[in-house]
Amino acid sequence: MRIVLLIIFCLFFSSAVFAQKDKEILYSVDFKQASINEVVKDLEAKSNYHFYYDVLQLDSLRITVSANQLTITNLLNKVFEGTNINFAIHNKNIFLIKGKTIDLDLAQAYYVNKVGKEPVSVKKNDTSYLANEKIQYATTANKLYEIGIKTNDPKSGTALLSGIIREPTTEALVKGASISIENSEIKAISNQDGFYSLNVPLGKHTLFIKAPNKNDANRQIMVYGDGKLNIDLKERVLTLKEVQILANKLSVVKNLEMGVSRLDLKTIKKVPSLFGEPDVLRVVLTLPGVQTVGEASTGFNVRGGSTDQNLILLNDATIYNPSHFFGFFSAFNPDIVKDIQLYKSTIPEKFGGRLSSVLEVNNRDGNKKKITGTAGIGIITSRFSIEGPIDSNKTSFILGGRATYSNWLLKLLPDAYENSKASFYDFNLGINHQFDQNNELSVAGYYSKDNFKLNSDTSYNYSNKNASIKWKHIFNSKLNVSFNLGTDFYDYSIMSDINPVNAYNLKFKINQSNFKSDFNYTLSEKHSLRFGLSAIYYKLNPGEFKPIGSESLVIEDIVQQEQALESAIYLGDEFKVSDNFAINAGLRYSLYNYLGPNTINNYAANLPITEENQISQTSFGKNKPIKTYHGPEIRMSARYNFTDDFSIKAAYNTLRQYIHLLSNTTAISPTDIYKLSDPNIKPQFGNQVSLGLYKNYNSKAIETSIEVYYKKIKDYLDYKSGASLIMNHHIETDIVSTKGKAYGIEFFIKKNAGKLTGWMSYAYSRTMLKMDNELIGEPINRGEYYPANHDKPHAFNFTGNYAFKQRYSLSLNVTYSTGRPITLPIAKYYYAGSERVFYTDRNAYRIPDYFRTDLAFNIEGNHKIDQTFHNSFTLGLYNLTGRKNAYSTYFVKENGVITGYKLSIFANILPFISYNIKF
Amino acid sequence: MQKTNIDLPINESWTNNLSMRKTYLSIVALLLLLSGCKENFNPVVAPINTNILVVEGMINAGADSTIINLSRTVLVSEKTTTKPEIGATLTVESESNQAYPLSELTTKKGTYGSLPLNLDPSKKYRLRIRTANGTIYLSDFVETKVSPVIDLVGYDADVTKGLQIYVNTKDQTNKSRYYRWEYEETWIFYSAYQSLLMWDGKDVVGRSSANSIYQCWGNTKSSTIVLGSSVKLDKDVIFKQPIILNPSTSEKFTEKYSILVKQYTLTKEAYDFWQNLKKNTESLGSIFDAQPSQLTGNIHNQANPLEPVIGFISAGTIQKQRIYITKGELPGFTKPLNADCNAAVVEPTTPLDFPLYFQSGFTVPIAFVGTGVLASSKECVDCTLRGTNKKPAFWQ
Repeated sequence: MRIVLLIIFCLFFSSAVFAQKDKEILYSVDFKQASINEVVKDLEAKSNYHFYYDVLQLDSLRITVSANQLTITNLLNKVFEGTNINFAIHNKNIFLIKGKTIDLDLAQAYYVNKVGKEPVSVKKNDTSYLANEKIQYATTANKLYEIGIKTNDPKSGTALLSGIIREPTTEALVKGASISIENSEIKAISNQDGFYSLNVPLGKHTLFIKAPNKNDANRQIMVYGDGKLNIDLKERVLTLKEVQILANKLSVVKNLEMGVSRLDLKTIKKVPSLFGEPDVLRVVLTLPGVQTVGEASTGFNVRGGSTDQNLILLNDATIYNPSHFFGFFSAFNPDIVKDIQLYKSTIPEKFGGRLSSVLEVNNRDGNKKKITGTAGIGIITSRFSIEGPIDSNKTSFILGGRATYSNWLLKLLPDAYENSKASFYDFNLGINHQFDQNNELSVAGYYSKDNFKLNSDTSYNYSNKNASIKWKHIFNSKLNVSFNLGTDFYDYSIMSDINPVNAYNLKFKINQSNFKSDFNYTLSEKHSLRFGLSAIYYKLNPGEFKPIGSESLVIEDIVQQEQALESAIYLGDEFKVSDNFAINAGLRYSLYNYLGPNTINNYAANLPITEENQISQTSFGKNKPIKTYHGPEIRMSARYNFTDDFSIKAAYNTLRQYIHLLSNTTAISPTDIYKLSDPNIKPQFGNQVSLGLYKNYNSKAIETSIEVYYKKIKDYLDYKSGASLIMNHHIETDIVSTKGKAYGIEFFIKKNAGKLTGWMSYAYSRTMLKMDNELIGEPINRGEYYPANHDKPHAFNFTGNYAFKQRYSLSLNVTYSTGRPITLPIAKYYYAGSERVFYTDRNAYRIPDYFRTDLAFNIEGNHKIDQTFHNSFTLGLYNLTGRKNAYSTYFVKENGVITGYKLSIFANILPFISYNIKF
Repeated sequence: MQKTNIDLPINESWTNNLSMRKTYLSIVALLLLLSGCKENFNPVVAPINTNILVVEGMINAGADSTIINLSRTVLVSEKTTTKPEIGATLTVESESNQAYPLSELTTKKGTYGSLPLNLDPSKKYRLRIRTANGTIYLSDFVETKVSPVIDLVGYDADVTKGLQIYVNTKDQTNKSRYYRWEYEETWIFYSAYQSLLMWDGKDVVGRSSANSIYQCWGNTKSSTIVLGSSVKLDKDVIFKQPIILNPSTSEKFTEKYSILVKQYTLTKEAYDFWQNLKKNTESLGSIFDAQPSQLTGNIHNQANPLEPVIGFISAGTIQKQRIYITKGELPGFTKPLNADCNAAVVEPTTPLDFPLYFQSGFTVPIAFVGTGVLASSKECVDCTLRGTNKKPAFWQ
């Protein structure tokens, strides 16, 4: 290669010298639809140059050009402008070559650098039709890549540079990579699909590209006009000190998002976890503004929202129950997950349907080059994954599975538990096919199942099933789109057949089919637009209660199936008003139709909704709209940069939620049911205003932020005393709509680089509810504000990783929060043969504060790239201080006396170990 | 948690996630066994004075007395539970303005009773309370529910699971639907040592059979609320409704055991009240339980309807059935010997030794052994500490 470069250099240096001497001679031509032979003949006649070319290559060319007094180089530039013909001048010889570039670029670049003169002896035309044939893949740092149609007379102004960033070995698209131009403020971040676009001044630049777990890279570009440049970024393999979050360096201070957290799997894996199983949802809980009601519950609360106000998406599929095994494990296989994003303040207008947050979990695409896999062994679960190409290098698959073998654990328990069983398993499948640079198709599937039966004759099971297909298409450098079609299932059933007379099977099922399309359009340097539409069709079976066996006297009971269509259209514009000021204005309009067939209970107006006040019923036929709710949802945010690393942002969001989780227990339990909004149950409405300050220190290695928010929720659902939710044919009579307000301040500091990495957060937040509907006879706490179950004013989290050496690191996790509110018994009395208690106002007291420290030690095997197996160990201690945190408190009557108990689940130090292998 | 009680779907529980809760409790128990723990929890509660009227009892429309008990709530931290409401005037009133007065019993403070009322079951009745300070409380008018006859009080005996008492009942008219049961258990048991001697205050003397403290009858009344409903079934049938489960090692099965089951039929409102009371007071505060909620009965302060009053007044008749189970019917049921009981021989060296041993009553003489006296602690000798040595009138 070096020799070739030298030869080319010599060739052009000498021709350049010659060209300078030749400069004095000027030519005039006038061709009309001339063939190459005519042109050559004319020029050879006017000069002493001799042309060399292949007639067969160029005989279809017709040239029309008129020029006056041009040097030979400029003249040839003009003649061949808009064609794919390159020319080279050597002494008095001119070579014409079609298409081929014979790597002249470097020489040109070199020449420009060295001599500072315009290259004269070379023309390479990347005309637009040629560009469509082949997009440049910028793989090396020292080569100069030309963008746009080369002109011999570079103008000033800007051009749009776009393309995708990918990892060359696996061909995985790299999102969140930052692309910046040396010595300028111009920066862009690659999106979900690895796509970036950047407005760059014409001329020569150096691009800097940084991405999580990738080697930093730079590329030389010469920009003549709009064009595409795909960039290959190599995986970083030799270091453990990767700075994953570097890609987000820009985003925190400079992007328009507020309250968005992104974590990739490497970060997730470093957080010490229960039983050594990396857990996506547990890491989410370490972020500011995220709370949980109890240690063993997967439902989480974001900024005061309830657990059903989070939209949990796995590859765009809605996961209704994100937990396994009573919430001890999350439903996401850590070997397959690529990264997660949690939106808690600015929720992009493309999302809707939930009030509090969106948690996006993205799985990886399979490796397109070779078959690889991982396997992990833990105390309670084991998991595996395999990925690789299918036939060509265009298609890849990834398959992952997990299963428990916890039954052995149950066998160790006393005989009383001999009938106990608990198990779960889940599978993920992803297939990705790259048709060409502009078209990509992916198919994803997810299946999970939980079974349990504990010391009881009743068995339970629940299952998530999801399938989706996604097509990404790039129209041109300004417009790209993704279409997604999917179907999501969630169901559970409860069965008991021990008593033949009462043997029953109870089922609940929800199915949604959804379509969405998301467009991105770069209108200009200042405006980038996002727009699209989505539709979800819900089919919900609220309950089916059936007898089992011939002896069962159970009457078959089926709660009417419900249907609804939720559609939305949205438009968002990211408007860069100036270098320092940007606005993101988004509007989403959602439309909800509750559809027949169904029979609706009508209640007397201005009276409480009770069975007694039901006046009539109305029946609706199939697909008849029963009730329509609709309204706009505003998603606004703005950012002002004081300096390069200090900014202020503000955001205002309104959201609507049409599907509700009905649960009158404190934590999510698998038997909670979902309910669609109907004429008697209004959709929930929420709005949030937030303000934040963002500052980076130490060359962005340390990020800090302060965010405040105030949030209001309307028509949040609470329950009347003794409400029964399952198999209820008039559930509206047991539900009370409640108002809520939440406010708080969150401090966050994150260190991205160095031996110590991690983050620390403190949040003060309150969540209050109020039942002030006049139609309720006895509102909770007399209609005054009372704290919600997940109201924990003070919360502190520290998650850190210290890398001693490349292969050894220590992780520490510290969590503190105020105890959850509870309702305490205050008075007692004797009734029905026993002492009984009378309770205080709802949630007037709290359980003891929560504090936990976990420690993990990670050992990576050696990092020789060529070895077949890479392995790693994680050893750790959960609850290092052995603090007996109250999981719950309760009061029971024992031998007629009321005794209070505090229950702790992980009351001791819990050691764990897990072993992972990668091949 | 350790109970193997089956959560029947039609016995109110599944509709309220109670069976789910139980499973969760099992899980929690499981985790406790793995690594958890359970500790006493005594939160500091600001002393709010709650002096709420508690009304318990029912208007008995049949040939039994109507008994109503009035009391006030006390703070949880107080040692006593009962604070009887005395000096009140109670009257049962019918829709057609007939009044039946109750009078305060002299035997039990705060308890008011009447002679059998034999009310017309087609009418509605209510209770009027006028407390000593003149406040008037009225219950709502309630329907009179006549309970069907109990078909069977039966049991399932299993050495590992224990003895499960159950009830079968049915109402051919399909009118009853909501049921509540109470029970009273009685059994024969023995002290560890049979004492033939007693201390008469001066000396160790022979014990007469009338003063025997070896054989006793133990007795307990139901302290949990037992509810059942047949609304989900197409016939008004209750089959194998669990009443009480006792382990096979229980002292109750030493020789002969008896249980009296009382059956009440409820209105839907009454059933809801009892269910709410059960949910609120028998297991609450765990994370998977329903939140404690306001308890609303059907008794109201006439002048101040917002004042909380605990209790629900029903009207109706009661059905009773008693069964006996002898040890012979329960093969394999054995009570382990009381390992805490030891007997020792007291050898007097001075005349003062016997008074020193026996005067306090903590040590009871059993039998003469040579010159000494075999003796043991009162708990091991005197069965009357835990029951009565008088045979109950009903005992067969």
